[in-house]
Amino acid sequence: MAKLVLAAGVPHPPRLVFEMQQSPGKTKGEALMKQVREQVEKAEPDLIIEVDSDHFVNFFYNNLPSFCIGMAEEAQGPQETWCPMPRYTVRGHVPLAKALFRYGVQNKFDLAAAHELRLDHSLVVPLHFLNPGMALPVVPIYTNGFVSPLPLATRCVALGRMLRRFIEAWEGKERIALIASGCFAMDVGGPLRGWVDNEWAETISKLLARGQYPTLARRATEERINAAGNNSGELLNWITVAGALGKTKPLFLEGDEGNGYAVWKFD
Amino acid sequence: MSVYQVNKILYLTDNDAAFRKRMQEEPEVVLNEFSLSTEERDALTSGAVGKLYQMGVHTFLLNHLYRWELFGVNRDNYLTRIREGMAYDPRFEQGNMPVQRFIQK
Repeated sequence: MAKLVLAAGVPHPPRLVFEMQQSPGKTKGEALMKQVREQVEKAEPDLIIEVDSDHFVNFFYNNLPSFCIGMAEEAQGPQETWCPMPRYTVRGHVPLAKALFRYGVQNKFDLAAAHELRLDHSLVVPLHFLNPGMALPVVPIYTNGFVSPLPLATRCVALGRMLRRFIEAWEGKERIALIASGCFAMDVGGPLRGWVDNEWAETISKLLARGQYPTLARRATEERINAAGNNSGELLNWITVAGALGKTKPLFLEGDEGNGYAVWKFD
Repeated sequence: MSVYQVNKILYLTDNDAAFRKRMQEEPEVVLNEFSLSTEERDALTSGAVGKLYQMGVHTFLLNHLYRWELFGVNRDNYLTRIREGMAYDPRFEQGNMPVQRFIQK
């Protein structure tokens, strides 16, 4: 039996690594990432499951699943040449990914699976901070956070619940960290670029802090998400992770202008 | 409408270095290889970001126009252009376009 030892949520600003190198110790993001990393280190995970939304690097309209498990033995990224950070090779965990695929299908979750991956910044930025040296294997779970129709947030909760049951049923003995990559509310290339829907971001923070995950999922309609900017569907990654939390409340939760950082620990 | 083709051109521009090089050197020739409507082709070649947005081109992919400075679109005019034809919104005043640093291969 494997064990979920920690869950976390962090954003993936493509320039955070660069900004941190330019002005060490000055960015709020660096300090928050460090806080999350300290908790990850204390939890001593053997493996990371990362819930993320690809930004048209691995997937495109020619083939765009709502949910997909990454089954590659290894993959490289970030692939975007404009993203100023180191390039990494990230190891996968094929046996666990395959077992999750089978478990999902048998539990009425008809997931897609990808045996070859091109990693984008959204997958790699959190790992740069939380998986130093890419020492731990990573199983990515992709959600479609950007292309309408988005998966229902309530369906993401169900995916998270299934994930938790899978972890507890998995034959391995791994200590697993579950990480959501994404912001709460943001617009990156649309007409509202620069604006942050603070009202929505604060609502999300409040509901997460109180452990009101089903309420958050009910309120996170596609309409509400889209009104907060074109990048705001990344919330679905947080909600997927929330589905795996049961009633556990966060140990730590911090909002930073539409970005959220949080940690949950399990005994 | 073949907005899929417009999205595909922008997707390939960011993800395929050889395609990107051709888009920078001979964009008109590259566009001929896609089945675009006259309206789509004109909107692309004139860098009419707002029009492309209204046609339904994904904003993540539209970003690549300024990122790779295609068809006269750059980080200084992108926001003005995407807002063309939209009613004024006070939220437009908030935030600025962050300065981008290009990593060229």
